[in-house]
Amino acid sequence: MKRQYIILTILLWSNFVFSQEDKTKLNFTGFIDTYHAVRTQSPNDFLSSRSRLRGELKMLKGQSYFFTSFNVIHNNVMPSKTGFQLREAFFEYSTKSLNLKIGRQIVSWGIADGMRITDIISPMDMTEFLAQDYDDIKMPVNAIKLRWVKPKMNFEVIYIPIPTFSIIPYETDNPWSVFPTEGDPFLDIDMDNKPELTFANSEYGARFSFFLSGIDFSLSALHTWNKTPVFTRSISENLDTVYVEAHHYKLDMLGLDFSLPKGQFVFRGETAYYMGEFHETKTLEPIKKNSLNWLIGVDWYPGGEWTVTAQYSHKFIPDYVDVLTEKENTILSTFGLTKKLLRSTLSLSTFAYIDISNEGFFDRTSVDYALSDQIHIMLGYDWFYGDAGMFGLYKDNSEVWFKAKYSF
Amino acid sequence: MNRLKRITGIAVLIVVFTMSSTTIFAQSLTGREIMQNVKDRPNGDTRYSEMTMKLINKRNRVRERKVKSYSMDIGVDKKTIMFFLYPGDVKGTGFLTWDYDEVSKDDDKWLYLPAMKKTRRISGSSAKKDYFMGTDFTYDDMGSRSVDEDTHKLIREENIDGKKCWVVESTSKDKQDIFSKKITWIIQDCLIASKVEYYDKLGKLHRELLLSEIKKTDGFWQAHKLHMTNVQNKHQTLILISNPKFNIDVSEEFFTVSNLERGDF
Repeated sequence: MKRQYIILTILLWSNFVFSQEDKTKLNFTGFIDTYHAVRTQSPNDFLSSRSRLRGELKMLKGQSYFFTSFNVIHNNVMPSKTGFQLREAFFEYSTKSLNLKIGRQIVSWGIADGMRITDIISPMDMTEFLAQDYDDIKMPVNAIKLRWVKPKMNFEVIYIPIPTFSIIPYETDNPWSVFPTEGDPFLDIDMDNKPELTFANSEYGARFSFFLSGIDFSLSALHTWNKTPVFTRSISENLDTVYVEAHHYKLDMLGLDFSLPKGQFVFRGETAYYMGEFHETKTLEPIKKNSLNWLIGVDWYPGGEWTVTAQYSHKFIPDYVDVLTEKENTILSTFGLTKKLLRSTLSLSTFAYIDISNEGFFDRTSVDYALSDQIHIMLGYDWFYGDAGMFGLYKDNSEVWFKAKYSF
Repeated sequence: MNRLKRITGIAVLIVVFTMSSTTIFAQSLTGREIMQNVKDRPNGDTRYSEMTMKLINKRNRVRERKVKSYSMDIGVDKKTIMFFLYPGDVKGTGFLTWDYDEVSKDDDKWLYLPAMKKTRRISGSSAKKDYFMGTDFTYDDMGSRSVDEDTHKLIREENIDGKKCWVVESTSKDKQDIFSKKITWIIQDCLIASKVEYYDKLGKLHRELLLSEIKKTDGFWQAHKLHMTNVQNKHQTLILISNPKFNIDVSEEFFTVSNLERGDF
């Protein structure tokens, strides 16, 4: 993988060096932040303690553009996460109505906030579940994206030769592991079962977006891999070990989304039909079933620097069979409230995921104060509640956290 | 001698006629026509500028914001794309607006958040009354308010710093607006405001805007320094406009969500 980046960097660099028509513009920015979170119940241990340097380099020469962003991280709680992390590294070439983007990039589709309906190209880094900024959760993919741009619409096609999958925490030293980290029987987890690097295993899709007076909408189609694995379980003969194996499957998606501003409100909607999605079962073999996923949302801008958002999403599996571990109907909603004070230097916000199907929730409430133009300090509380579902899994992980950020 | 008298007489007549015709022209203009003329002041079909905004509190502590802005006239409407340059935590944020002259039609607005790699469609109406990036300027002040959103009345003419001005009182038709009325001193020579007073809903002076360093660039008049003071809480914002350019080479494709996401240097 490193060799590919070196070759790509040389190719891109040569384009900038040998194209003599325009002057090269360089820009280097970034930030340093430090984040520490303590569990608010016994044993009151640190669930996170990390510091990082984020660097972002931009180069522009005529119609050519290069962007790279990287993290240098020191992680006290999970030492294996300490080190260099390349986020994005892509080359872009633009004409008046065409835009070609090649390289490691984050892809965002759809209009949902913090939820994935059509936005299933970039995988998720769930190392610390949702208890981190959403932009840190989203992972880049190696893709070629061609976009045809007109004033009120654009059409993009994307090709991803090698799929990238979500990072699912399973290590015993990770408090956000999706598996029990202690107790019997012993879990033997195999996460290395990835698809072969063949042309047939590549992903591709297209999105047609319209930006009109009074409404935006998009139509999308995608042949992709489900970035979240389906797990199968088997038990050893002497019943002391459970073998857990991750499997990845393809799926096809047809999607539609819209945003409709009306006075102080913006109404949003998104729907996707997943075809051939594999689901985990209570028996050994996963089962292939289509699913209908949809979301409606509203943003309210009442003025006075208040923002209120609410979303309701629903996943429905037609021709449901009881052997599936997932419910026939899964309902998840979100609620967000933000108020800015002191000339936008103080921001109070809360954002909650509410798992209606399992009667659980996760809420992140925070205070963000801009000490100066460069320095922000943040204090927050992550509250997990529930006995089942994805939030019930972390009911002992409610935490208070502190973050400081210096931007340059 | 007679000839000299006749020439002098004609000259006096011309001067009197010219003066009286100017007065008649000025007097015949209504407040609305003056404000429409200000809005229609030639400023090219496309334009670019960089803005440094200094936010000064009553203890003289200064915070800074920097943006660069491109705009283009599409008939009577206007498209603007703005990129935030400073401070670092908002750098790369982009703001695209399609401003419509028609009062009943909400503007179209998009906000690009680089950290989220995502563009959001935002309300075209409500944010107009909020302050822009913590400054003393509202989004409405920064954009192009339609002339017919207010009722205009020419109340007098007077000189400011030796420049002849129309003084126009504009009363907002929208009860939700943060000001009840504003009084604008418009320099007659260049159709640029020299001073604006904003009054709150109780009729008390709320904010005062002074425009200075008014000069021509590429043949078009522009104020390069805008100083807004909130007289009630003593907070001030100073906007310094640099590197203005008019009739720049940009097309309508530039004012798109795609370009908003690409950002700018």
